[in-house]
Parts: sequence; structure tokens; C-alpha cells
Amino acid sequence: MSLILSSAPHVRSKDNTQRLMLNVIISLLPCVAAGIYYFGWRAALVVCVSVVSAVAAEFIWQKLARKKVRVYDLSAVVTGLLIGLIVPPSAPWWMLVIGSFFAIMVVKQLFGGIGDNFLNPALAARAVLLASWPALMTSGYNVGKFDAVSGATPLLSGASVADLLLGNVTGAVGETCKIAILLGFAWLLFTRTIRWEIPVISLASACLLGWALGYDPLTTVLSGGLLFGAVYMATDYVTTPMTQFARILYSVGIGVIVVLIRKFGSYPEGVTYAILLMNIAAPLFDRIPAQRIYGHTKATKEGK
Amino acid sequence: MSEKKQNVGKVFLNGVITENPTFRLVLGTCPTLAVTTSAINGLGMGAAATFVLLGSNIVISALRKVIPDKVRIPAFIVVICMFVTIIQLVMQAYLPALYESLGIFLPLIVVNCIILGRAEAFASKNPVVASAFDGLGMGCGFTLALTLIGCIRELLGNGSVFGINLLGTSYQPMLLMILPAGGFLVFGSLLGIINALTNRKKGAAK
Amino acid sequence: MKATFRGGVHPAHGSKRPTQALAIRDFVSDTVQIVMNMNIGAPSKPCVKKGDHVKLGQVIGEAVGGLGIPVHASVSGEVVAVDAIAYLTGEPAQSVTIKNDFQDEWEELHPLGNVESVDPALILPAIKAAGICGMGGASFPTHVKLTIAPDKKCEYILANGAECETHITCDDRLMQEHATRVVDGLRAAMRALNVSQGIIGIEDNKPAAIAAMEKACQGRQGVRVQVLKTKYPQGGEKQLIKVLTGREVPSGGLPIDCGCVVLNVGTCAAIADAIIDGKPVIDRVCTVTGAVRSPANLRLRIGTITEDIIGECGGYSTDPGKIFFGGAMTGLCLPNDQLPMSKSTNGIVVMTKEEAVSAEEDPCIRCGKCVDACPIGLNPYDMKIFADAEKWDVCKKKHVMDCMLCGACAFICPARRWLTPSFRIAKQKIAEQAKKEAAAK
Repeated sequence: MSLILSSAPHVRSKDNTQRLMLNVIISLLPCVAAGIYYFGWRAALVVCVSVVSAVAAEFIWQKLARKKVRVYDLSAVVTGLLIGLIVPPSAPWWMLVIGSFFAIMVVKQLFGGIGDNFLNPALAARAVLLASWPALMTSGYNVGKFDAVSGATPLLSGASVADLLLGNVTGAVGETCKIAILLGFAWLLFTRTIRWEIPVISLASACLLGWALGYDPLTTVLSGGLLFGAVYMATDYVTTPMTQFARILYSVGIGVIVVLIRKFGSYPEGVTYAILLMNIAAPLFDRIPAQRIYGHTKATKEGK
Repeated sequence: MSEKKQNVGKVFLNGVITENPTFRLVLGTCPTLAVTTSAINGLGMGAAATFVLLGSNIVISALRKVIPDKVRIPAFIVVICMFVTIIQLVMQAYLPALYESLGIFLPLIVVNCIILGRAEAFASKNPVVASAFDGLGMGCGFTLALTLIGCIRELLGNGSVFGINLLGTSYQPMLLMILPAGGFLVFGSLLGIINALTNRKKGAAK
Repeated sequence: MKATFRGGVHPAHGSKRPTQALAIRDFVSDTVQIVMNMNIGAPSKPCVKKGDHVKLGQVIGEAVGGLGIPVHASVSGEVVAVDAIAYLTGEPAQSVTIKNDFQDEWEELHPLGNVESVDPALILPAIKAAGICGMGGASFPTHVKLTIAPDKKCEYILANGAECETHITCDDRLMQEHATRVVDGLRAAMRALNVSQGIIGIEDNKPAAIAAMEKACQGRQGVRVQVLKTKYPQGGEKQLIKVLTGREVPSGGLPIDCGCVVLNVGTCAAIADAIIDGKPVIDRVCTVTGAVRSPANLRLRIGTITEDIIGECGGYSTDPGKIFFGGAMTGLCLPNDQLPMSKSTNGIVVMTKEEAVSAEEDPCIRCGKCVDACPIGLNPYDMKIFADAEKWDVCKKKHVMDCMLCGACAFICPARRWLTPSFRIAKQKIAEQAKKEAAAK
């Protein structure tokens, strides 16, 4: 008889990395569907191109660097999907490929691969695309159902709340239909893939500050990419703080920066930069010793 | 270090390749990142620095026995300043466009750590001829590196190299590459590639 | 109100279902092999030799040192061997093998009678003579635990019936079937220490045990049942104290430093046996489950060989891949099925070959689930980085010594990182270092 000898624990939770990534992919499907419904086949193409190129980028890098190929963990699929959902529906294919390769190779793999990137790969890719081809990234929203609409700005255009909820406004492929995003959020919470704190607190802080600065709170949340960013981008495991207190700081920071950029910045939308800035700050937040350790009191500390 | 005779060819190549100031020593990164938005800027900056390096290395090496040790740094700076002023005036007179685009980074050559570093580490301890070749080698290495980075950034960010359009009119320039972030990206990537190549070479040698 | 603590995980996944409804039955095997190092502290010294005839309950190993406990024959019969075996820790231990004559001829017993009327001064010596050590798994000698230093005061005695481990149901069944014994034992300990409050903590996934214990507590002075939320590690000593009394054991201290003593419900029952019947520890309840044909809760004589126990449960249902004593979160693996169980073996779990395969470590994705799960409030991902780099002093600064190796972080980790094993090594290394430094001084 040959028995395996190992150290406890002998059971592991069923949620491994791959399964968590699969949960995120499932939660993004309503957004993809809504994108295709509103923007037509172009949206499907955009998503497909970015997913395929992200996976290809990961595979090529790991082969070239002679590392273990970890495409099976599905994290590249998630990155690709996210990129496809935060670009305009008319984004040209080569831009998506560059974005995906940048996200995977430069942002993720150059810093050590999954778990070691300090920025959210999809958002960093969006920032790069926006800086490189500002014209292509800020126009081209009017396709599919919005062929006839001209010149609508994607943010704060005075659309009704119902239109904002249903996604009957122009915007990036996956960011417009808030109902779809909320469905995905519900799935992520149901499967315990993410915790509720980051999305809810960042939205609430944006609401509060927006209200103080004279914006309508509901429109603040429902317009632009804030909801999508708060649910899918701000909650990316790798680039969020680990401790509860740091998470709250991080979430409040996102909400505040988004509203400040919208109000005072030269960009119309600030979700990307707000989250990227807080990504960079996350490791600093983690250094704040906020958690109380069992059995450590003031008395024991002074005793030392 | 004793003043033994050195192989001038080796000293020259040392500056260009083995101890390339940009890629191996990672010195003078401020102008490296700031002015390399186009190939011509990189080349101009490199040439100016080479001239200063060559001149200052020769003069400092010649004066190395009369400069008191305690005040050697101010003395080096004065020598370097002289050559920077020369190149600045010459450039302003004959290459006004380049002078404009290099801007503040031209006078800042004075405090470029490559030049001060070579004065301290080489010229003040070696004879004139070797120092001249060291300055020339380091300068060429710096120029090569800057031109290379400039070429890449100009090609991607503008579709051209030395102002000649290479990628055709349908190319959508990647603006990021001529923004400061592009400088970091290209410089970092090149550093990484060169390190990977050297490591592989070392591994093969073993 | 269901009390609970911060952090924790839910690993049970119905692993208790096969045995929760099965009544305890007795099993006595042909031979028993009784090891001498069942307790924390110095191993006991065998005091019988090959060929001797021993009676049931006769002392066969004498206590050695302050943490020593006596060991008793768990069957009557002939001693067939006194030799060394490699026990779970890997270190050789003396063991006494007895061939059972099935006469169950008892050594003369000295019952003390009713726990409410016995002289409190006689209780501790009786516990020591009965060879009782912690039956929840830690095997700390009970009489030592109940000997309170003069500068400390015990205000609560907590009976631990949480049984938060996976698979194990022996405490659950014990509380259902022998509730009065558990309360008797708790009362005896309370009277010995002159403590007025005794709380029995039970997780809410054992409604039958809760009902039985509440009934048994009626009319008894100072004891009550507190229902706890089902969550691992609810039965951890530190968590139990926090939940039941609101106090915390100071870092590096013992429960008594916050006025508490925690006894497993099995230990309580053993105390009651020792006082009322004068019986030493010769058997215990043990859950046998996993890949065996008919899982069971067995009352086993101490020293029963694992192979015999598995045989009693219908044998392996498939090729075994892993066998461990205890639950899946903290259990100790067996190298083969020839080893005997001991006083602290509360469960024997057999895993199939498929279940036993350990997943490969993936890169950490910094999800923070380990931080949320840690019942102590540590940052496991952070400690793991420095444990992997063998920077033990940094680990110590990050409070690895406060880690109680519950396994919650390793259980929840989606990247399957070996968090708990790394911390176990770190703790060992730091303890070794401290010992060396002390020796150098």
C-alpha cells in the first residue's frame, strides 16, 4: 500500500483560480449580449478579436520566455473580454490587437505574469489606446442602433434614467447597459467571486461627492463607465488591496477621483485613470496595519 | 589605478558596447528619456554629448596632475562647462532648429553623469590618448543608444525615421510613443532585451 | 443568538453526513499496541515486560516528568512485545503490545462517587491517575491544565463541543448519547477549581446534541449550553474563548491568562468516568469515515491498530490514497495502516487516490481571501512570501507565531498555495532559533 503523506489541510475549496476566472467570464456575458444587441455584429467582432489576441499574446509570451503555459487559467480570456467591452464598437481590429498584446505582454507578463502586475491590464491597455489614438477612442460610438444619432456625447448627455439603465445610449461596447452589468454583479456576489465592498463603496462615494458638487446622484452612477469600472475593473484581484480597511480607502479613492476628473479634469470620463491611480496606491494602503491581531492589545504591545 | 598602457581600440569598444553608458551603466537617463522623441534629436543630443566628453576627457586628463584632489569636482565642472558653452553657441548658430528642440537638455549636459563619471573614473587617472578614446567610445555608445531609441519612437509615434516617412500615409501614428510614457516603455523594453541577450550569452559561455 | 468570530471558512461540505446519525458501537480487537508518547511532554516509561499478564486498566506505563501521564492496559491479556515503533511524529516511541484474552478482567477500581458530593481535593489526583489528556487532538495532560498557578484565577471552564473539523462526529454522538457524563465531568472540573461558570459551546449543525446537552444541564449548577454558528475553526481554543466569554488569550499566552480553561467534551466524559467509576482512559469514541464501506462511530480500546478498525468498518471501498487521524483541516497522515490509534485520535479518515492528490501550487493572485479567512487577523499571503524566502525573522515580525495552523487560509486559497505547511515550518524554525539563543545564553 502506498499512501500519500502530506501536511494538513487535506481538503481545498473548490474555487481555484480557473473557476474564479470562469465566474467572471460568465458574469460578463450579459454585457456582451447587450453590446451585440445595441451595436450589432461589430460589437461581437470587437470582443472576439480582443479575446483571441489576448490569449494568443499570453501563449506566445509564455512559449518565448520558456515558462509554463498557463493559458488554461482563463485570466487572459478575462483581460481580452474586458478590453473588448471598454472600447468603442467601431474600434479597428489592429487597435484591439495592440491593446491586448500591450495588456498581456507589457503590463502583465513583463512584471512577472499573473498575480504580479501592479496595474489592471485591461485598463492600462485602454489608457495606452486612449493616449495613442485619441480620435479613434473618443468617436465611433454611433453604430448599430445608433447609426442615425449624431454627435451624442457618451457622458451626461441628458438621457433619461430608463435609457441609461437599459443602455439605450451610446458608449463603449459593454459599458452602456447597466441592467446587464448589475446582472453580472449579482452573479459575482452569488458565487462569492468578489466582495460587495469595493463596487458599493466606490459608487457611494462617487454619488456623495457628485451630489455635493451639484450632479444628480443617480446620473453620476449610471452614466459613463463608472458602474462597469466599479464592478469589473476595480475588483480585479491582483491590483486591489488585501485588507478590509485598505479596500475601503481604495474604493473611496476611486469614487472621489472619478468625480473630480469629471468635474475639473480635461477628460470627459475619469474612471480609467481613477482606478489606475488607486491600483498604484493599493500596495501602499496594504502597508497600513489596520487589522487587529487576536490576542494583541495595547498592554501586550507596551510590554514588548 | 596605475597608468599602464592601455589598448586604445579596446578602450573605445568598451565605451560603445561592454559598458555602454545607456544600456549597461544606465547613466544619463534624463536626456535619454526626454529628448529621444525623434531620431534626429537623439543623434543631435548624442553628438553634443560626444563632443563634450571628448573635449573634457582630453583636457582633464592633461591637467590631471595639476588639479588638487580636494577641488577636483569643481575643476571638472568648469572644464565641462567650457565645452558645453562651445557646443551650445555653435548649435545655436548653425542648427537653430535642433537647438530649439533640445532646449534645456543641452545646457544640462554639464551635470550629465556620464561626462562627470568618465572624468572621475577614467580621465583623471589615465593618459591623454586613452582618455580621448574613452570619451569618444562613451560618446559613440551614448549616441548610438539615443539614436536607436529615437528611431523606434519616431517610427511608431510618427511613422517616420529621420523625417522620412517609412510606414506610408495609411499608418495611424501611435501618439503614446512620442509622449514621455513612450520613452520609458521603449527604454525599458530595450534594457530588458539587452539584459536577456547578455544573460543568454553568459549562459552559453558557461 | 448564535455567536461567532471574525474570519473562518466553511469546509465541511456535508462530510459529516455519513456518520452523524450512527450510534456509537463498541469494537474490541485481538491485539492492541499502546504507544507511550500519547501526551505532549515526556513519553511514559513501560513498566511491564514481555510475557506478563495484565488486567484491564492496569498501569503499563509510568508518568515521567511534569507533563507525564500514566498509560493503562486497554484489554486484559498477555504482553507479547515491548518495543519501539515510529509513531506519527516520526520519532521512535516505546510501545506495549497486548494479546487480548477477551476476559475484560478489571484491575481493582477506586470510584469516588457522585461528582457533586466528592471532596474537591480528590478530583485532580484522580484525573492524573486516570491518565487523561486532551481528547480533542492536542493531547495536553488534563491535570496540568487544571493546576492553576497561584497568581492566576480561573473564572470559566468551557466545554468544547463545537467539533468544527470536517468528517468527525464522535463528540456529536458522545453528547447525544452520554450528555449527563459530559456535564458530570464539567461539574467535576468546576468543583475542583471552585469555578462558578461552565459553558458548553456547540455548533448549530448538531441540533440533537444541543437538545440532549440542554436537557442534561437542567438543574445543574452554573452550567449552560451556548449555540455557535457553524464555521471553521469555531472549535479552536482561542475562537471558542472569544465567542463564549468575549475575552482574548493574550498573544503567546495560555487560556488561563484570561481566566479560562477549555476542555473537550470527550475529556469531560473521561473525567466523569474517572471520578464516578474510578476508570482510567482505556477507550474513546472515534469516527471512521471516508473511503470505507460502512463508516461508523466506534468506541475503540486505546491502541487498536488502524487496519483492524478499517476491517471492522467493512474494509476499504476503493484503493486508499491517504489516511489521516483527525479531520481534514488539521489531521495527521499515516504512512501505513499498521499504526495504532491513541487517546487523542478522534477520527480516522480514508481518502481515495483521486481525493488524495495534492494540487500543484499556482502563482498567488493576491485575491485576499486568505486575509479574510484568517481567524487571527494575520496576512497569510505576506507571511508566505517571507517563509518561501526562508526569512524567518521577518516571518516572526509578521506574527507567524500567532498562527495556530488551522488551515483556513490554505483551504480557501484559489491558487492552492501551501500556506499552512509553510507556516508550520516557519514556526518550527523560529522555535529552534529561540532554543539555540537560550542555550547560548
